[in-house]
Amino acid sequence: MSRVAKQEITFLKDLLTYQSNLNGRSTILDNLRRESVEKVQSTAFPTPRDEDWRFTNLKPLLRGDTFVPVQNVTAVSDLSGIDQYYLPEAQNSRLVFINGEYSEEHSSVGKMPEGVVIGNLADAAADEDSVLSEHLNKYAEYEDDIFTYFNGAFVNDGSFIYVPEDVTVKAPIHLLNIYTDADDSYFVTPRTLVVGDKNSDMTIIEDHIGLADNRYFTLPVIELKLFEGSTIKHVRIQRDSLNAFHFSRPAAHVAKNADYESYTITLGARLSRNDPKIVATDEEVNFTVDGLVLIDGDQIADTHSIMDHKFPHAESHQLHKCVINGEAHSIFNGKIYVRPHAQKIDSFQENRNLLLTREGQVNTKPQLEIFADDVLCSHGATIGQLEEDEVFYMNSRGLSEQKARELLTYGFALETIENIEVESVHKLLLKEVERYTTPKKEAEVVA
Amino acid sequence: MLEIKNLHAIVEEEGTEILKGVNLTVNKGEVHAIMGPNGSGKSTLSKVVAGHPAYEVTEGEVLFEGEDILELDPDERAHLGIFLAFQYPVEVPGVSNKRLLRESYNTVAEKRGREELDPLQFEDYVRERLELVEMDPKLLERSVNAGFSGGEKKRNEIFQMAVLDPKLSFLDETDSGLDIDALKIVANGINHIADDDNGVVLVTHYQRILDYIEPDIVHVMINGQIVKSGDKDLAIKLEEEGYDWLQPKAQVNGELK
Repeated sequence: MSRVAKQEITFLKDLLTYQSNLNGRSTILDNLRRESVEKVQSTAFPTPRDEDWRFTNLKPLLRGDTFVPVQNVTAVSDLSGIDQYYLPEAQNSRLVFINGEYSEEHSSVGKMPEGVVIGNLADAAADEDSVLSEHLNKYAEYEDDIFTYFNGAFVNDGSFIYVPEDVTVKAPIHLLNIYTDADDSYFVTPRTLVVGDKNSDMTIIEDHIGLADNRYFTLPVIELKLFEGSTIKHVRIQRDSLNAFHFSRPAAHVAKNADYESYTITLGARLSRNDPKIVATDEEVNFTVDGLVLIDGDQIADTHSIMDHKFPHAESHQLHKCVINGEAHSIFNGKIYVRPHAQKIDSFQENRNLLLTREGQVNTKPQLEIFADDVLCSHGATIGQLEEDEVFYMNSRGLSEQKARELLTYGFALETIENIEVESVHKLLLKEVERYTTPKKEAEVVA
Repeated sequence: MLEIKNLHAIVEEEGTEILKGVNLTVNKGEVHAIMGPNGSGKSTLSKVVAGHPAYEVTEGEVLFEGEDILELDPDERAHLGIFLAFQYPVEVPGVSNKRLLRESYNTVAEKRGREELDPLQFEDYVRERLELVEMDPKLLERSVNAGFSGGEKKRNEIFQMAVLDPKLSFLDETDSGLDIDALKIVANGINHIADDDNGVVLVTHYQRILDYIEPDIVHVMINGQIVKSGDKDLAIKLEEEGYDWLQPKAQVNGELK
């Protein structure tokens, strides 16, 4: 038996012996865990022989210590400074999770329009919330994906958001996931369910922050259901520890006249894998699945997206930009399905990669599967360096080569975040882009 | 101010020689025009003076205020006060015109021992310079040249020149692609900037711009060399008679004799 296969088994065994401890608080979650455990047991761990994992080297995940359930480790970070991550716009619409566990102390939900729910998923499950039980685990359709099942097998605390018909929640809802330092490598399975009823409107800021540089594994599953005419803007910021693993599955079902816009910013993690899946479940749907990846060192960032058009008259848009520094490796696979009879689809997909070094690596694969004949689908992928003429232009204006490269990289990255309307988030991301493009001071490199 | 002596340059990648012994002297307060047919090396000369990395100088000298600048990087040449208005200005999405200009102005100001401007002072200074080229202030907030029309790009080059206030400017076909109204505005801007302390070299195909900017000296460049220099009447003669009368007469096996 190969070393990898052995480790896989250890990984699963630890997981499964522990998970039954979670049961007994709510039938909704108990059932989901039970189902998921069965699926974990009958699903193989991915290998490079699987098409969807061909370029993604899972060795860093499987090497090293076994991951243990987060409840079994001693967290050692000081939490006193985490208010620096709070968003001023979301002072009264914030859920905080420390290593996956809901923190009532740090969360803050003020008065909301009637019927709005912003709270801990485990509490709603214990109360047998009918909306939760109707929608939980209905949209995360990731066939044979062991990581989705892992999440289900350990589902516990998480975010549950419901906005009723015709209601707009003006303040952005901040889902702040904090990962602390710890003595052992741990794993966390955050779960989020967002339901926007007819003509509702909300903005979700899903934030993942590693406080230290420790090794942990987070597997968030995010399900979003958009009813007719509803709007959800979903910003995802991944700033995990540079030794962390982050595998996320954000899945949205979008109904008639609804509008789902998502922006995923990937900055952290040793290895990240993001599989957004957006399904248009009716006509006249709009959605956006933009991404910005800024990686350096030995980071690997993989995005495998699915945009599934099952009905006519949809508009979809995906701009996925990556900047690769050091020996980092970026992977993109963007599937667009247009089902038979789904005519008049206007779909745009572009993956642009900026390679700053010779050692960096990019694999990109736009993948269109179109079974209707009256559609407008464009896609493109580019891999390039900064153009000599661009650099010369800036140089001739007196800017040093270094400064010219910084500004050009900054400009390249900016396009994907300029549509983010929450001011503090926009500023925060500008700063992150600036920090990425400006080389580290020597002192920081030594540290 | 600028002395170019027997300058030879090749395209680095392919080794083709483009400049084949150019001699040119520009003094303070002078406006020069370099004319010539396509492919004669006019644009290359501008780029070589500005330090474009695609060209390699194989022979000759370029002295700016007595100093050999050929070993300097393009940004160092800009710091000395050399400016190139591009024939095809580059688009820089995501970086606002204002941001580039302020970085640029302050870098050059620092190197030239001028006072740097804070954002408010810079704003005032820039607004005043904008008027020289009658440019819409909205273009300041837009990304550098991104989505600009051909005319707006050319005007933006002259605006940058106005802001940076260089000692020596090469304007590479700034007039091409401009309609007559835009041409007048651009020419007017250049006339305002040109004074007794700086030098301007207009590189152009057409005599048209010289109706609005009167050059002190007109040069004709053919096949990588300046073959004739004269006053503005030379430009008029070129317009009427073309370049044929200046071309070497005989060719043997494709080689000029």
